[in-house]
Amino acid sequence: MLKKRNWVLSDHPLPWLFPLVSVLVVFTIYPLIYNIWLSFHEYSTRKRRLIEVGWDNWSQLLEDQRFWDSLTVTFSYFIIALLIELVLGLAIAMLLDADEPTFKFLRGLLTMTLVIPPAITGMMFLLMEDPQFGVISFVLNELGILDSTTPILATPSTALAGVLLAEIWQWTPFMVLIFLAGLRSLPQEPFEAAMIDGANSWQIFNKLTLPMMSKVIAIAVLIRGIDLFRVFDYVFVMTSGGPGTSTYSLSLYSWQQTFSFVKWGYGATLSLVTLIIVLITANLFIKIMRIKW
Amino acid sequence: MTFKRMLRIITAWIVVLTFFFPIYYWTTVAFKNAKEIFDVPPRILDFTPTLANFEKVFGISFGFGFGSQATVTPGGGNFYMAPRLWDTIVVAVGSTLGAVVIATLAAYALSRIRFRGRHQFVAWVLSTRMMPPVAVAVPMFFIYKEFRLLDTYIGVILIHTIMNLPLAVLLLKSFFDDIPHEIDESAMIDGSTRWQIFVRLILPMSRGGIAATAVLCFIFSWTEFLFVLTLTQTGLKTVPVVSSSFVTSIGTAWGNMAALGAASIIPAFIFILLVQKHLVRGLTMGSLKQ
Repeated sequence: MLKKRNWVLSDHPLPWLFPLVSVLVVFTIYPLIYNIWLSFHEYSTRKRRLIEVGWDNWSQLLEDQRFWDSLTVTFSYFIIALLIELVLGLAIAMLLDADEPTFKFLRGLLTMTLVIPPAITGMMFLLMEDPQFGVISFVLNELGILDSTTPILATPSTALAGVLLAEIWQWTPFMVLIFLAGLRSLPQEPFEAAMIDGANSWQIFNKLTLPMMSKVIAIAVLIRGIDLFRVFDYVFVMTSGGPGTSTYSLSLYSWQQTFSFVKWGYGATLSLVTLIIVLITANLFIKIMRIKW
Repeated sequence: MTFKRMLRIITAWIVVLTFFFPIYYWTTVAFKNAKEIFDVPPRILDFTPTLANFEKVFGISFGFGFGSQATVTPGGGNFYMAPRLWDTIVVAVGSTLGAVVIATLAAYALSRIRFRGRHQFVAWVLSTRMMPPVAVAVPMFFIYKEFRLLDTYIGVILIHTIMNLPLAVLLLKSFFDDIPHEIDESAMIDGSTRWQIFVRLILPMSRGGIAATAVLCFIFSWTEFLFVLTLTQTGLKTVPVVSSSFVTSIGTAWGNMAALGAASIIPAFIFILLVQKHLVRGLTMGSLKQ
């Protein structure tokens, strides 16, 4: 072997990994430690500095109704969006899973929603859901689904649905594209065999398509789920959490505590709670579904 | 053509066009004058197109404006957005370069060098992708304040680089894994060093994969909201963050907002069409190969 044993050319992974490890440590481990430290402190507006408060921020969580509200909102948002995107995504993917010449073009069109900044999507749905001149409100009023005196985003019972509409519109195509790629790569023989055996389409879907797609579905759910749980952009631009706490997500609550109410310690505590929930749930999911990278 | 096939094509077109409708509608808003935006029922096809919104947002006079040139915009505010578009481009390009350079090195090591704790290392990289942005942005704000990085290009570029690293590392690793190890081995027998193999063989052979990674990093930086919102104040602002500033005390400048939105989608859409082949692999961080 003619390998040179100097630092840059060695077989040791460190030189290759060094840039990555150094930035990840500085930008993820350090903030994490800082956050934990901050969660045991609070900014005192009277003394104009951080003071130690022990476990106060953590015990405050239990009594804070707004925290429990935001947790409920985040979980509802997560579950509803994930279910609808999953079902709709699978249905549309199966619809587009055919060798039609125009379907390539339709697939390309669907890609478009993925490149739009969510904040801009939020602003545009704000326009379309405007009670006076919004096109979505207009259609819903005409169809008699919505009372014309009900502003979608300013009514507690419909605000979350209004935000979810933007979310689902933007990310269902994400699911469609992933599922479509999965469906297209399935082997044809089992399906032909099932057809010959006289299986109906529900049996084929349930016994063949779903099991064969389980890995693809698991990965799509994992990646979308991580992002859904930390929803911020849509609620920030569309409702700022209101009316009341009906669209108050955990990320938004944490951000507002820090930057609007100068509760630095409590804001950090809330962001840690979000982090802990996402890390535990996602890692459990990876273990259970045996997803490998 | 059977009836069933016909039905499928028609349904597919209806579904996809429904999804496309909002984009179409915003584009019409960008070309409408201030009055037509507020018309009830909303104008879908019958409006007089004007370039006034684009002229105001980008500060250019197209000079061949068709239709009415009325530029009545509700509210005050500065809607001249060309500098903000420049900010967004600088941040996106800078952070894409940073992420791709760091990630190619790391991905090569993870794909080729066997070392203890390799799987744990990959899991750690993946878990940084799970961190809620708010859990990073809050401490980063205080750290940036200390180091005077708030409101600077370098600060935002750094944070977007970090944000994109897990995706870039895992995606590039999957592309490097596709290249058979025999190629490395035969080059090594010929006396090449790892570095030479990396530069002369691996990088050129995974050009397509690197391009796809770069495009995705670019798009995620282009559309990112929370970090820029938190880590900038008055200096630079990217397009997504500035979009909420169109809301003024007198009303929202919807036409200008839509013009900016429409213009900001175009570059990202062109890029993503160029890497369609690797799109799904990219969206799933390299875990699904098309």
